Amino acid sequence: MPPRTLLRLSVLLLFVLFRMDSSVAILAADEPKPTPQNTISIEVGEPVPAQKFEHAPKFWIANVTDRSGNPQPLLVLKPRGGIFLDKQPTAIVKDALEQSLKAANLLAADEASADLVLRVYVFHFGLASGSGLDFFGKVEFSTMVKNPKTGESTEVKAAGTSIANGAVRKKNLQKNVEDNIENALRDATRNFLRGAQLKEAVVAWSKASEAQPAAAPASAEAEKPPSR
Amino acid sequence: MRIFTLALIAATFAIGASAAPKDETPQYKTAEAKHFTTAEGVELSPAFVDYFYAELRNELTKAKLVKEVIGEGETVEDADAPRSLVISGTVTEFKKGSVVKSALIGFGAGFKSLKMDADVARRSDKQSLCVIHVHVKIDPRWNEKVMAKGAAHEMVKEMKKALAEASKTATADASKPS
Repeated sequence: MPPRTLLRLSVLLLFVLFRMDSSVAILAADEPKPTPQNTISIEVGEPVPAQKFEHAPKFWIANVTDRSGNPQPLLVLKPRGGIFLDKQPTAIVKDALEQSLKAANLLAADEASADLVLRVYVFHFGLASGSGLDFFGKVEFSTMVKNPKTGESTEVKAAGTSIANGAVRKKNLQKNVEDNIENALRDATRNFLRGAQLKEAVVAWSKASEAQPAAAPASAEAEKPPSR
Repeated sequence: MRIFTLALIAATFAIGASAAPKDETPQYKTAEAKHFTTAEGVELSPAFVDYFYAELRNELTKAKLVKEVIGEGETVEDADAPRSLVISGTVTEFKKGSVVKSALIGFGAGFKSLKMDADVARRSDKQSLCVIHVHVKIDPRWNEKVMAKGAAHEMVKEMKKALAEASKTATADASKPS
């Protein structure tokens, strides 16, 4: 190979390597990183009032699982330096539910003393695709309400939505997104606690717990030896 | 002259104060908006239905048609059920539109078109209070969510009118001597 061709090839190779390196650097610069300035804290605020049950059970949240399939659950908004959550969505949902159940005196002290055990699956938390003119906040989760005594489970779905205005300034943008997600979370919590599906689950538990003490003396009598 | 001017200003304020809209309490206590269904052949994403549901609730809250807008599947106190609404509906037609037609012909040709029917019923006895038909057209280059926004706004406007008319008719019927 003549030296001139070799020189040309090496220059070309160097150029390609430089371009690749710079594009990787640009991509890395585009990826937002969480800082205290772009991190928001989502709290449900005042506890959401729950519906009134005839026989109020005690609930226990066993676990909250993220089923959103989102690789970056903390990243709420990517453009303009990004907006991040300070906690995992699962932790935020758990806090919101526990807080509201506690305020309504429906939270058990531990799993053993609970009448109904909840397993929550979060399907969506944060912003969803909107019209582009505003922010569309959406929180969606499904809960398996299990009666530990009978082993029966009922699915209770809950969803909350909120639409907030867009903003130009970063500060306002962050505030609007925060308010929007908080409203959606409050709406979803309310949808769960005041839902007809939860009422049905509690009614089923109530019937089962009424039937058990009635069945117990009957079985005790059956076990008695026949009197002579 | 000065007294006349002062009197005129006072009269203007007085008229303004009397004409100012009063904070009327809404006739209905709660409204439950359900997710709209799509008729066969309507090619709309589930995200559209979700967004429309959120927009409808947002518009209902803004319009102050009811005291409280509740989520789908939420319970209502038995006492409030006669003064509660349930809004359900169907997207009956959706045309994607054509950017080429819109650019070449103009005057609304090639626009995206959406037709929806909504049924507003009383929660206690499921009696239908009004049926609303909405037809929205937008530029084909616009996002379909913008169309949902427009449709929700139009629907609540129509609903407000229809419910006001229905309540007027009911009042007139009640005042008629038997």
